[in-house]
Amino acid sequence: MKITVDIPVIETEDLILRGYDEADFEAFAAFGTSDRASFVGGPHTRWDSWRAFMAGIGHWALRGYGMWMIEHRATGTVAGRVGMILNDGWDEPELGWHIYDGFEGKGYAYQAALAARDHAARHFGLDGVISYIDATNTRSLRLADRLGAKHERDGTVVGTPCQVWRHPRVARSASQPAEV
Amino acid sequence: MTLRLDIPRIETDRLVLRGPEASDFEPLAGFLLDRERSWGFGTEKNMSRAWRWFAMSIGHWALHGFGYFTMEWKETGQPCGITGIWAPEGWPEPELGWVVYDGFEGRGIAYEGAERARRWAYQDLGLTTLTSNIVPGNTRSIALAERLGARYEKTYNNVEMGEDYLYRHPGPSELGLDCDADGSPEAYA
Repeated sequence: MKITVDIPVIETEDLILRGYDEADFEAFAAFGTSDRASFVGGPHTRWDSWRAFMAGIGHWALRGYGMWMIEHRATGTVAGRVGMILNDGWDEPELGWHIYDGFEGKGYAYQAALAARDHAARHFGLDGVISYIDATNTRSLRLADRLGAKHERDGTVVGTPCQVWRHPRVARSASQPAEV
Repeated sequence: MTLRLDIPRIETDRLVLRGPEASDFEPLAGFLLDRERSWGFGTEKNMSRAWRWFAMSIGHWALHGFGYFTMEWKETGQPCGITGIWAPEGWPEPELGWVVYDGFEGRGIAYEGAERARRWAYQDLGLTTLTSNIVPGNTRSIALAERLGARYEKTYNNVEMGEDYLYRHPGPSELGLDCDADGSPEAYA
């Protein structure tokens, strides 16, 4: 059989959203095993990080969408991940973002999330999506607000309490006409 | 990035070894969530983690070019287990693994599938040696490894399973599989 993993490349001013290289794993694991991952179910062991890295690729194969690796254009370094997540147990596809150590405070998460959200709306048919955010994750809550999302309800994801934020529909907004 | 994985479809007398498909998830999850059956392989604590194991197994094919085949029972087309080559981060070496689902034991499926997967790994992937990692006390797997000609080599600490036995399989030359008919090892791409 053929398994097709088709991960589009999206370029923004400072970032390249792209697929996974084996060489990305060290940066991925450094995030996953650190306290920075506490809002995304971590910190994880290195082994669990490896599982998550591979599953990140498999997600694209099974769903046709997933999370991109974010490459910092100027340095070629991996700066985080962003994209659409629908793991088993999720209510609906979620826009998620992880920014790695050293890349915060520069607006990269905003830039990446905007590009991913736009692409998902236009090409994956995922518009007006949610983000699950831990109630104490003030940086992510601020970013959701900046992205125009609204707190919709309190919920849980796989048993963990979180807030559910709803993003505006973006595919056919006047400022971002749909691509032909 | 587009990865197009051509996972071979290999037939044995009674089985088809093929790439994973979305509909394989349910029987796989039935196994992964059943501690009685999966303790020697790695039990998943909920459906969400089982799904991610499945996604991981596909990512494994994508990055390594090999992984776990779904074994299909030819007569009915049902998935009856998995077998293949597994080499996660932290593993000592690529291993030959096998799992048989509930209701399919006692038919020699694991032997038939694993023996074929091993041959594929030697002949088509060009691997020159293979191990199997078996948790102490998993007597059924140990018996099968020995039936496949593998020998106990050492005890080590596995990142997922803890204390683990490493069995080593006979190499391609011991199995008379060194070369293809054209006289050269075949690279799998």
